[in-house]
Amino acid sequence: MTADSKSPVRIQLEDFSQDEEIRALQASSTRMGGIATFLGCARDFSEGREVSTIRFDAYDRMALPEMQKLRDEAISRFGLLDARIVHRLGEVRAGDAIVFIATGAEHRAPALEACRWLIDELKQRVPIWKKETTPQGDAWVTPHP
Amino acid sequence: MINVLFFGPVAERLGASHLQVAFRAGMCVQDLRAQLQASHPEAFALVSLAAVDGEHVRDWSLALSDGSEVVFMSKFSGG
Repeated sequence: MTADSKSPVRIQLEDFSQDEEIRALQASSTRMGGIATFLGCARDFSEGREVSTIRFDAYDRMALPEMQKLRDEAISRFGLLDARIVHRLGEVRAGDAIVFIATGAEHRAPALEACRWLIDELKQRVPIWKKETTPQGDAWVTPHP
Repeated sequence: MINVLFFGPVAERLGASHLQVAFRAGMCVQDLRAQLQASHPEAFALVSLAAVDGEHVRDWSLALSDGSEVVFMSKFSGG
């Protein structure tokens, strides 16, 4: 499931470095004039309850290929020079990073639009579920629009 | 046999992450859903998506093959 650490699309248990991902994206083309990023984090409060940790379940066979398709589609649809997507699994604590998306284009507009599109599509199309641990018990997260 | 997988909230409500169902000629995704929904109505109340052999199902009349891997899924909450 987990691709090598240099792959532009990865699912991994360990944390990631935003700086390394942006450096790798930037190194892919000197024509890149704009880079947009999205960082999704674990909140410590959800649906009126304190959240200490989040655990993930994923359909491994489908999750990574879907993320790779999303990257390919975004590059084609928005004319990106490159894009990177990293999603964590396992258990994360409140405040930890969950997902990182970086998009690079010649100009800012396609980079920004593609970044928004990618996180929205990821939430719709990549089979990953998260469960929050709260003082009232564990609860699967209901998707937010 | 059809290998049926469940994840996240559906697996938890069903109490299993894997079932095997006998394959019948002409069987489609909707047939399998109806069969399992009858025996596991609470879990299938959460189901809104399906995948066959790792691909999203767009048409629930998609025919299954012997040995297909089918996943019935609730809405995703990654990201």
